[in-house]
Amino acid sequence: MIGYTLNRLLQAIPVLFLVSLFAFGIIYLIPGDAATVIGGPTATAADLEQIRRNLGLDQPFHVQILTFYTNLFQGDLGRSLLLGIPVTEALIQRSPITVGIAIYSLAITIVFGLITGIVAALNHNKWLDQAATLFALVGVSLPNFWLALVMIVIFSVYLGWLPTGGYVPFTEDPVGWLRTTTMPAVALALLQAGLLTRITRSTMLEVLGQDYIRTARAKGLSEWQVIGQHALANVMMPVVTVMGLILSVLLSGSIIIETIFGVPGIGALMGNAIMSRDYPMVQGGLFFITAALLLLNIVIDVLYTWLDPRIRVKGGD
Amino acid sequence: MKVDRTKTILTSSIAAGALLVATSALAEPFECPNVGGELIVGLQAGVPSLDQQTNTSSATRNVAMNVYETLVIRDENMNPVPDLAESIEVSEDGLSYTFRLRDGVKFHNGEPMTSADVAASYQRYKDIGFNRSVLDIVAGWETPDDSTFVITLSEPQPTFIENLSSYTVPIVIMPEEEAGKPANQVDIIGTGPFSFVEFVPDSHVLLERYEDYQPNNTLDGVSGFAGRKQACVDTVRFRMLTESGARMAALETGEAHIVEDVPTISQERLAETEGVELVRLENWGLNIGYPNFSFPPTDNEKVRQAMVAAMDMEEIMDAATDGAYKLNGALQFPGQAYFSEAGTEWYNQADPERARQLLEEGGYDGEPIILLTNQQFPFMYNTSVVMNEQLKAAGMNSELRVLDWPTALATSEQETEGWNFFYTGWITVVAQGGPTTLRNLADPNNVHKPKDNTGNPDFNAQFEIVENGQTLEERQAAFAEAQRIALETVMVIPFGILPSTQGIRSNVENYKPFYNTRVSNVWLEQ
Repeated sequence: MIGYTLNRLLQAIPVLFLVSLFAFGIIYLIPGDAATVIGGPTATAADLEQIRRNLGLDQPFHVQILTFYTNLFQGDLGRSLLLGIPVTEALIQRSPITVGIAIYSLAITIVFGLITGIVAALNHNKWLDQAATLFALVGVSLPNFWLALVMIVIFSVYLGWLPTGGYVPFTEDPVGWLRTTTMPAVALALLQAGLLTRITRSTMLEVLGQDYIRTARAKGLSEWQVIGQHALANVMMPVVTVMGLILSVLLSGSIIIETIFGVPGIGALMGNAIMSRDYPMVQGGLFFITAALLLLNIVIDVLYTWLDPRIRVKGGD
Repeated sequence: MKVDRTKTILTSSIAAGALLVATSALAEPFECPNVGGELIVGLQAGVPSLDQQTNTSSATRNVAMNVYETLVIRDENMNPVPDLAESIEVSEDGLSYTFRLRDGVKFHNGEPMTSADVAASYQRYKDIGFNRSVLDIVAGWETPDDSTFVITLSEPQPTFIENLSSYTVPIVIMPEEEAGKPANQVDIIGTGPFSFVEFVPDSHVLLERYEDYQPNNTLDGVSGFAGRKQACVDTVRFRMLTESGARMAALETGEAHIVEDVPTISQERLAETEGVELVRLENWGLNIGYPNFSFPPTDNEKVRQAMVAAMDMEEIMDAATDGAYKLNGALQFPGQAYFSEAGTEWYNQADPERARQLLEEGGYDGEPIILLTNQQFPFMYNTSVVMNEQLKAAGMNSELRVLDWPTALATSEQETEGWNFFYTGWITVVAQGGPTTLRNLADPNNVHKPKDNTGNPDFNAQFEIVENGQTLEERQAAFAEAQRIALETVMVIPFGILPSTQGIRSNVENYKPFYNTRVSNVWLEQ
C-alpha cells in the first residue's frame, strides 16, 4: 500500500512539470497582457510601456520562464500583478473559502444523489423511479449560473430567507456562513447530484440482480440488512470513483458561481486573474489547483484500493 | 514678480463654471442632517487595487477617491478647482505655479500633510504614475516651506492646470513614506473624509469616517470631485457585485443602498419596485469605434466614408442601450465648453445608396471588413452586430471577429493587420474636455493606426493649438476644426451618448450619480 502510494506520487511529478510548462506558456500565446487591461482603451503606447516596466513584463520570455522555475523550486509562485501580494498568500487566503463550499456541496451531492439513486432503484419502473430520473435529468441539464440567479430571485428577493450574496467566514459566524454558502453550494451540487443519482441507480440495479443478493435474501435477512450491508458497500465503489471527477467539476464551476454570489474564493480569484491577464496569479493558481486535484485523485485511488481488495492484489502490495 | 492669477486660470478654462460658484455661494454650508449607519454600495466591477496613482479602473477610482485627495481636481462642471491647495498662483511668465496648501490637513495616520508629502507623491507619479506624461513639461519643483509647493515648467502651457486636474488617474497625495513604494504595494493612507479599513479582493472594501477630516471650505458642498465634504455615515462598504442580476437583487432586498449600472432590461421593473429609485447620469460616455488606417480596405478613405454613410445610428444605439440613449455626432457632449457641430453632417446618414456610390468611387472590390468586437461589454457587441448588418445591406463584405475584451483591446493596440474596425467606449475622456478627448487621435498616440504612425498633419496642427492655445476661444476653434477633420476622414465614428443609470434605496439621501461614486454628504434616513 505504501509502495503503491509512493509510486503514484512519483508519477505525479512529470504531470506537474508539464502542467507548469503549459500554464506558463499558454498565457503568453493569448494576445493582451496585464498592461493593456490596466491601461484600458485610452492608454497611450508610452503608458503601456511604463506599466509593463512597473510589472516586469518588459523582460524577455526566457528570463521570465527562468525566474518562474527558479522561484517555483523555492516554493515561491511569484507576486500577483494586481493584488500586489504573493500568489501563495492569495491562494492560502482563498482556498478555505472554496474548499468549504466544495465540501458542503459534495455533502449535498452525496446525500441527495445516493438517496434518490437508491430510492429509484428500489422502486424500479414505478413513479418514484421516474420522478428521480426526471430530477437527475433536470439537474444535469440546467446551467448552474441560471439556477443561481433563479434561486436568488426566489429565496432572497421574494422569500427573504437568504442573503443575495457575500461571504461570512465559518470561524466568525457559523450561521452566517451557512446562510451565505447554501445557495452557492446547492447551485454547484445540483448538476453533480443528478449525475450521481444516475450512477447510483444503475449500479444499484446491477447489484440487486447479483447472486449474493439473492443468497442474502434466501438466508432470510431483512430488506434493510440486504441493502445496508451487502448492496450499499458495492454501490459505493463507482461513487468513490466519480468523487474525484465531481470535485474537479465543483472547482471549475466555482469560477462562475463565486462571481454571481460575490464569494471571494479561488474561483473568483482565477476568473479575474484570467480576465486581467495577471500572469503570476494564473500560472501559480493553475499549478496549485492541478497539484491539489492530482493529490486528491491519488487519495481517492488509495481509498479505492483500500475499499476493493481485488485492486490491492493487482497492485502487487 | 508673482501675480495672483487663480481666478484667471479658473475662468479661462471654463465656460459655465463661474456660474456654479456664484449660485452655490448663496447656499448654506453643508452639514449632515443625519449621522450614522453603514452605507452599502454595489460596484459593477471588481476593484483590482486601491493604488490610485497606477490604476485607471473606474472601480478603483470609485472607492479610492473617497479616501484620497489631490491639489487640484474637477468640479461638477469639469472645471479645475483647487482642493488640497487653497490657492494657486501663476507667475507672469507662465512658468511657475505656486500651490498654497490648506491648513490643518492630516493624513489618516494622524500626521500633518506637508509640502514634502506633496513633492514625494508628485515624484512617485512622475516615476510610475499612469498619466505621468502630464508632468513631462515640468522642469522641477520646490518646497520653500511646509505649506508651499512650487512647480516650474520648462515652457509655458496654458492647459497645464487642466491637465494636472485630470481625474482619469488623479495625482493623489499620500504620505512621503508611502510614496517610495512600488505600484500596488502602498498602504492606503489619504487625507479624504473616509479612511481605509479593509480590502478583501473580489468581495468588498470597507471605509470608515475619518474624524479629523479637514474639509475644503472654499465651496459650500460637494462639487464634482472637490468641495466641502463630510462623512455622514459611520462606514461605507463597497461590495463587488459584478453579476448584474445579483446586484439588482441586492438592491431589491436592501442589502445594497446604491448600485452602479442598472441594465435597461431591469429598469422598468425596478422603477415600480417600492423603496427603490433610479437615478441617471445622462452624459456618461460616448459609444465609439475607430477604423484601422493601415489595413485594407479601411486604408481607403472612400470605403471609410461609405461605412459612415451606410449607418443608421438610431438603430445602432437602440440595440446598444435598449433604448436609453441620445444621438450625438460630436466628440463632446452638448453643453461642454469644446462642443462643436463641425463635421457632424457625416453622422447618421442612413443612406445605403450613397454608401454604394462611395464604394464605387473608392474602387472597393469586396474585400472583407473585419469588425473587432467583444461580448464582455454588451453595448459594444450589440453595436457591432447592427453595424455589421447595415454594412452588408450597403454592399460591404463585413464580418465580426469576436474576442474577449483584453484580447480585442490588445489586438487593436498591437496589431496593424487582421482587423478593420474596433469598438470601444470613451468613458472618462470626453467629460474632461477637448484636449483630453483628442489626445488619442493625435500623434504619437494614434488609436486608428495611420501608416508609419504618422497621422493627419492638419489634425495634428489643430491639436497642438487645442493643447497650447493661449485663449479658450482659440482652443475651441481649433477643436472644432480638428473634429471636422476627424469626422470627415473617419478617424473615429461616434455612435451616440451612453447614460449611466444607478439604483438607490429611498432611504438614501443626497446621492447624485457622477463620474465617480461619491459617498460624502450622503446620509441614510433612519
